Amino acid sequence: MPSLRELQTQFAATLFEDTGDPGERIAIYRNTVFANYRKALGATFRVVRQLVGAPFFNAAVDAYVLACPSTGGDLNVYGDRFGDFLAAYPHAKDLAYLPDVARLEWAVDEASRAADTRGTPEAILSALAAIPAERITAQRFALDASCRFMMSDYPVLRIWQVHQPAFEGDITVEFGMGTDRLLVRRETGNVVIERIALGDFALLRTLAGGGDLASALDAAMTAEATFDLGTTLRACIANHTLAELRDG
Amino acid sequence: MREDGRQDRGAEVIVPLPVAAGIGLRAPHVGQVLAERPPVPWFEVHSENYFADGGSALAALDRIRADYPLSLHGVGLSLGSTDPLDLGHLAKLKRLADRIEPSCVSEHLCWSSVNGRHYNDLLPLPYTREALDHVCVRVGQVQDFLGREILVENVSSYFAFLESTLDEGAFVAAVAARTGCKLLVDVNNIYVNARNHGIDADAYLAAIPPAAVAEIHLAGFDASGECLIDTHGTPIAPEVWSLYERALARFGPVATLIEWDTDIPEFGVLQREAATAQSYLEARLAVAA
Repeated sequence: MPSLRELQTQFAATLFEDTGDPGERIAIYRNTVFANYRKALGATFRVVRQLVGAPFFNAAVDAYVLACPSTGGDLNVYGDRFGDFLAAYPHAKDLAYLPDVARLEWAVDEASRAADTRGTPEAILSALAAIPAERITAQRFALDASCRFMMSDYPVLRIWQVHQPAFEGDITVEFGMGTDRLLVRRETGNVVIERIALGDFALLRTLAGGGDLASALDAAMTAEATFDLGTTLRACIANHTLAELRDG
Repeated sequence: MREDGRQDRGAEVIVPLPVAAGIGLRAPHVGQVLAERPPVPWFEVHSENYFADGGSALAALDRIRADYPLSLHGVGLSLGSTDPLDLGHLAKLKRLADRIEPSCVSEHLCWSSVNGRHYNDLLPLPYTREALDHVCVRVGQVQDFLGREILVENVSSYFAFLESTLDEGAFVAAVAARTGCKLLVDVNNIYVNARNHGIDADAYLAAIPPAAVAEIHLAGFDASGECLIDTHGTPIAPEVWSLYERALARFGPVATLIEWDTDIPEFGVLQREAATAQSYLEARLAVAA
């Protein structure tokens, strides 16, 4: 008699092999498995689904499942590679903005699930006040766990906004408006997406990568000559983007 | 066990589910439940939907837990897989259970993954001695890891392995007997499997030891040709209500849950299904009194 492992391996192969008739009963499993993925990813990538329509979206999900198989039991985290998949998906090659829309939706999803904010603006300000002036630029900051950065050649924020259920008004999206530099984060429980300036983007990304304030300031000044550190620091501490001073 | 029926867990005390009809809480109804605090005796949620590190969904669950007993029902642990148990998944389940202090934690008697690949569905096991030994070891591992007893649920299936040598009911009963876990008896799944595989549903119930039954699930199915599919997308069928009545006659009154996962209707529809289950429970409670 075949072992349990052999039976499971065999069943799985029948489930996902396209060749040949799997039989009516296995076909039911094939349908429910793909339906589960379509439903789960459809709930996360709502804008992508609206942009391309359900038939295209479902076919893309089916192809994603075969190209990037799930490796975990939590379907909520299976969409992580969908944006990259769409970038290489031949049927979406005329929709150049689609992968970035998917990446933005994934960033929003991740931000919604990230750990809750720990520090307070008051705590970080008093910690900074206790540091000698000459050592300020050597400080490193922990960003709020929800922060995600996104850069796109397409107006992905505008595309995202006009496809939200509550959106009213002109739905025109103008392309060729330049690069979108976005910060996705959670503020008082809700995910917010902000278009941020070149200097702020460079500063925060450097800090997020573990760089100290001196290197972050360098990056910001290089990106935007008129960058003002004081204004950005105050704003980012007040809105919890910068959550804590890191040790060491 | 203590005199009040609570299970001691060191310093913690697990509050048992009320013997009443609860509702499976899904995302579309969370806002309404928080705003209106409807008179529902208990709720059950899918564990994986609250594996997040933080955020508003988890915060909402904390608020619901403050007012209602909760049960955590896992859909992704892949208990019966021959791949190693996913300790990362299990650690997230434990973190959630430690936070929520649920009345019970349940998983499915099935597998979802093999050779590193997940199918994210509840796939049927062959009912063999080898599968039984394997599942019992895994249930033991999970109970040890969580530091608590779990419930395991019988699944619906559309395919039966020719290699099976045990009846499904006997297999389920043996898992409980050998591991000390409790059973979550899904009456709809028994009905669906009885129809799909020509099993006698009453013989299945008769194989289940009443003392092991800690929860019952009820849901609706759809049909695909001759095969019944466990979609959780329709009202509970009359035949399933009838089987539920026979299950209660055998097991005595047991905490019962209404599940609805596809084409989720307004909350009132679930409350009406729960009220029907409650009337069956009360009829049984009256007999017991």
